[in-house]
Amino acid sequence: MLRAERIFKSFGALQVTKDVSLEVPTGRRHAIIGPNGAGKTTLFNLLAGELLPDEGRILIGEQDVTRFAPDRRARRGLSRSFQKNNLFLSGTVRDNLVLADIVAQGYGFHFWRRLSDNRSAQEKTAAIAEQIGLAELLDHGVSELSYGAQRQLEVGLALMAAPKVLLLDEPTSGMSPEETGRMLQLIDDLPRDLAVLLIEHDMDLVFSHADRITVLNYGEILMEGTPQEVRGSDIVQETYLGGKTAQEQC
Amino acid sequence: MRSLISFRPALAALTLITLLISWTNAEYFGMEILAEIAVLALLAMSLDLLAGYTGLVSLGHAALFGCGAYSFAVFTAIWGWPASLSMAAATLLTGLVSLVVGAVVTRVQGIFFIMITLAIGEMGYELVFKTRALGGDDGLAGIPRLDLSAIGVDLNDPGIFALTLILLVAVVYLLLLRLLGSPYGAVLTGLHDNAGRMRALGLPVQLYQTSIFAFSGALAGFAGTLSAQHTMFIAPQLLHWTTSGEVLVIAILGGLGTLVGPIIGAALITLLRHELSDLTDYWGLWLGLFLILVVMGGKNGVVGWLEAGWRFVARRGAQSKSTARRSNDAAG
Ligand SMILES: Nc1ncnc2c1ncn2[C@@H]1O[C@H](COP(=O)(O)OP(=O)(O)OP(=O)(O)O)[C@@H](O)[C@H]1O
Ligand SMILES: [Mg+2]
Repeated sequence: MLRAERIFKSFGALQVTKDVSLEVPTGRRHAIIGPNGAGKTTLFNLLAGELLPDEGRILIGEQDVTRFAPDRRARRGLSRSFQKNNLFLSGTVRDNLVLADIVAQGYGFHFWRRLSDNRSAQEKTAAIAEQIGLAELLDHGVSELSYGAQRQLEVGLALMAAPKVLLLDEPTSGMSPEETGRMLQLIDDLPRDLAVLLIEHDMDLVFSHADRITVLNYGEILMEGTPQEVRGSDIVQETYLGGKTAQEQC
Repeated sequence: MRSLISFRPALAALTLITLLISWTNAEYFGMEILAEIAVLALLAMSLDLLAGYTGLVSLGHAALFGCGAYSFAVFTAIWGWPASLSMAAATLLTGLVSLVVGAVVTRVQGIFFIMITLAIGEMGYELVFKTRALGGDDGLAGIPRLDLSAIGVDLNDPGIFALTLILLVAVVYLLLLRLLGSPYGAVLTGLHDNAGRMRALGLPVQLYQTSIFAFSGALAGFAGTLSAQHTMFIAPQLLHWTTSGEVLVIAILGGLGTLVGPIIGAALITLLRHELSDLTDYWGLWLGLFLILVVMGGKNGVVGWLEAGWRFVARRGAQSKSTARRSNDAAG
């Protein structure tokens, strides 16, 4: 469903993405792991169209979207959540979700219909709020929510579009263990007609919830394989898992 | 929360009633002031759509206002078209101009947006100032008012003209309120809040920004046709960036993104200017002080202050009610 072919990207002299290729078919739960600064978020920005690659191609389905702006890719069925919460802070949870529905369904130019009359938007909003565990907080201002709840809404916005490809950038970062458990359950329960690409720091979570893993290091793919293959790999043990403990020490 | 949502329309109703009461008491000069307030209120509401709701602060809005006024003047006073047709044509023309300008200026954001709207507005000013056919710096005179004698309304009567404009402000306010309560209105506030996320969700951001620039510009142009009919004489100053600045001040003073704020701001600024300039040569100084006082304290203009006051009163009311209930419970 989503394919990246030999992507390169540098910021000045700093090469952040080096010859990265990926294929995420429908139904796949594909995780990207790698130490801080490995270029995971940059890769997402390239896939979503926030950044233009220096080289390489990106395809959604059969369509080459390498030169498409982010909104055009979103309309092709690509949806993403952000590592840093990227919400509509002046509104309520409901306002945020309804806004995502307006954009996803493309009725933003309806200037005469009352928004409050839109039953289908209200129903969809309630359903997604239930799914992300915010049903009770629908009418709370987003800026008053706990960090964890904001993270949940971050994913909720991405889900409103009913996407074909979902990119989740560390959806559980900063969440309590309970919230993390619920988020993983949510990801497990996502419909199978959806391709999911997930950035995640917690190795245990990755090994138990993904069916394919790409390990990035300094912008390069160190290896790609099933959780068993990655877990058993010597290079990964050395460079990434070793790197991780080194990080934890400092 | 709910009480606050209905607070603004109530405030708008109160403002309208105040304007109508002043109208019943006004002499000739008062009528002139009321008409001026109404025109400025329409213009400031149109800017509020752009600056307050969508977050696109334009310093070229006066040029669109002037575009409406000048095209109306040309259509009527020079080409001899009927005023009704001229109003429609001038509004439409300004909308088209705004569409083209909007498609260009929405390519940039923030301070660059302010600068490019300022620059384009000044180009419009220069164009009018230097064009002899448009009267140059002498301006254009002999502009007629809409002829409504068919329905027994004489707009050449200052009182009738002022009343018509006040009612027009009310109608436009209601239409815009409806617009802002629609999905389109939600998109505008979403763009203000976080345009980047709107794009990530799939919104063609520039298209929407251009559309509201065009609509807001058309409304400014419409206000321009009324301004031309009010004074029956227009000068290039109408397009000058200082006029844009004044309209922005009106919207900020009243409360950006509140829709009723611009009406209140227009009334306050107009009144202060006339009253203070009678009392002192330093009226600009006093006006400045007043502005600083209103904007300090982080409140959103006059409407922000009133809302804060209302919340305070409501909370006190709720508190005294609950203490009353508690003492009742204790007694019972
Ligand atoms: N816009 C940019 N301009 C210059 N350098 C950038 C830019 N964005 C990212 N970088 C650099 O690229 C490198 C990779 O950053 P990126 O955010 O992709 O890492 P990451 O793998 O997501 O890390 P983390 O786990 O901390 O989120 C970092 O060294 C970062 O400083
Ligand atoms: Mg990252």
